[in-house]
Amino acid sequence: MEILGFLTLSWFDPSLLFLTAAGTMAGIYVGAIPGLSVTMAASILISFTFKWDVNEALALIAGVYMGGVYGGSRTAILLNIPGAPSAIATAIDGYPMAKRGEAGEAIGLTTVMSVFGGFVGILALALFAPFISKFAIMFTSRDYLLLGMIGILLVGTLSGESFAKGAFAGALGVLIGMVGLDPMTAEGRFTFGTITLMGGIPYVVAMIGFFGVAEAFVQIHSLDLPVIRQKIDRIIPHFSDVKRYFWLALRASGIGTIIGALPGTGGDIAALLAYDDAKRTTKDPDVPFGQGAKEGLIAPEVANNAAVGGAFVPMLTLGIPGDAVTAVIIGALYIHGLKPGPLLLVETPHLFWFIVGNLALANIFLLIFGLTGIKVFTKIVECPKAILIPLIIILSSVGAYAIQNNPVDIYWMLLFGVIGYFLKTYGFQVGPIILGVILGPMMDSNYRRAMIGARGDIGTFLWDFASHPISLVLSIAFLLMLLSQTPVWAALKSLVSRETNLSDQ
Amino acid sequence: MPHDRSRRPGELVFVILLLLASLWLFWQSVLISGFSGLSTPGVFPMLASGVMVISALWILRDTAKRAPDGGGISRFVEQITPLRQVVMLGLVALYVALMPWLGFVVASGVFLIATISFLWRRNFFLTVGISALALGVIYLIFRVAFQVVLPRGTLLQGLF
Repeated sequence: MEILGFLTLSWFDPSLLFLTAAGTMAGIYVGAIPGLSVTMAASILISFTFKWDVNEALALIAGVYMGGVYGGSRTAILLNIPGAPSAIATAIDGYPMAKRGEAGEAIGLTTVMSVFGGFVGILALALFAPFISKFAIMFTSRDYLLLGMIGILLVGTLSGESFAKGAFAGALGVLIGMVGLDPMTAEGRFTFGTITLMGGIPYVVAMIGFFGVAEAFVQIHSLDLPVIRQKIDRIIPHFSDVKRYFWLALRASGIGTIIGALPGTGGDIAALLAYDDAKRTTKDPDVPFGQGAKEGLIAPEVANNAAVGGAFVPMLTLGIPGDAVTAVIIGALYIHGLKPGPLLLVETPHLFWFIVGNLALANIFLLIFGLTGIKVFTKIVECPKAILIPLIIILSSVGAYAIQNNPVDIYWMLLFGVIGYFLKTYGFQVGPIILGVILGPMMDSNYRRAMIGARGDIGTFLWDFASHPISLVLSIAFLLMLLSQTPVWAALKSLVSRETNLSDQ
Repeated sequence: MPHDRSRRPGELVFVILLLLASLWLFWQSVLISGFSGLSTPGVFPMLASGVMVISALWILRDTAKRAPDGGGISRFVEQITPLRQVVMLGLVALYVALMPWLGFVVASGVFLIATISFLWRRNFFLTVGISALALGVIYLIFRVAFQVVLPRGTLLQGLF
């Protein structure tokens, strides 16, 4: 009964209801407008909302997240430009549908199916998080160190051009997170004797720089892309379609939730995997994949929204963000004095149930806003980038300044923006950097705790990783991931495939 | 490893710079507490910068293997730092540098008009109108509704 009260807190409180609705609405536009990303919006929002009550801040951010993941699909369908990385797969079949004049139907179907996927993800969060959190209480410092490394490694390997570039970005982020006074001994690290650096570099500033400003500079390259207009007619999907693709949607939801829950992988990868799965399992689609198959439109959209609920699982139970957006949200929780981790559910269960209820509410708003206002929407998305880019820079500056009312933070933001521009241009991803900045201090303190626990003896320290069951499993997972990136793995794989080929003959 | 594309202009130089920066950061990490123990504040920074050095070497090897771009400096300027990027960077730098002096409202107004006229090149009055509208909305949302403190300038003290 108590849980129900927390669960529906935002449903009956007018201001929370309004903030969730506003967040979802804003999220759809942010996700849809190419050049604005959910990560960018969430990091800027955090700097504005940190003085708010935590419930209000979370209501707004949850709405933006939910709406943003979905919003990318609209521009993918209408303009063939995925508004967000998670909508890349959507464009493959969505745009051909729009070219056939079925843009409205594609959007309607996407909306209903996204909401379906969203609910599956949220349900999984409500059911599994308490269970995982009970299990996670047994985790030691060692395990957290491993989880952090696995998270950064996953983001690094899956998103970038090469593994080395991902590793470099992750390590750079960890190092940025180290700047300032060491929380254990109060010794300065990378402060160069200045007072300015003693407090460290606020990670929100790093986020805004790498995601907001850097992206704005990258966008200047694509200023002159022509705008394409589409005809919109029927929006509410046929019920027969919803019924027909139910099982496909259910399977895509499962993929989305699981991929979302893996630390380091989020909606973009979930969507691509679900698309691939749909392509492989659909025997005879009405329209071939790549030419406007409804299956190819539904699967990625269901999966990326299911990944939202999934991504909250490791974030709330282990304190390990599932992807870049959850890394930003974890930052929001820290700012409000909360410690995401196994104790979050024990110490502040109301907050957990509030988040679950709030995500569900945002999902309902998604259905409402998703099926309405599409005509107005097409006008706004056509906003020229020449106006958008200066606005992103102004919003980023306000965000960077708002955290500590310190102009120095704006200079940091610009510096990170310029570095980020070059890194992006040369095929580095900025996601691992942000993950590193957030997880770095956590990994550092856990490493040292584990080392002190081993009495500073390297042999004992390493043996501990092999002699405790949880640590052993995580260590093996970590080593396998590392191994899979080396030439040894490729050699092994070709050996195995050759053998299986031989045995087939 | 994909070897199908040639190097981007300036990529090799950039990677070498990354390697040098990583080495310098590693040296700075060693300076924190040296090799005096395994749980000192300097160990984790050393590990992180060590990963940076190793991965930078790896990236350097991959980059060096690729066919050179062959376009020289002009290609770099054309693709990586075209005039539009450089001018925008200059305007943004000017904007953040002048904000403490001019204050948020004035600096942003000037910045919007300057950048939009530079990137968009339409009717000047339309540009001013859009800038004013955008700035008004930003001010209302953030200063009035969100109560965010915006930088006030020393020039027009107390006014904006």
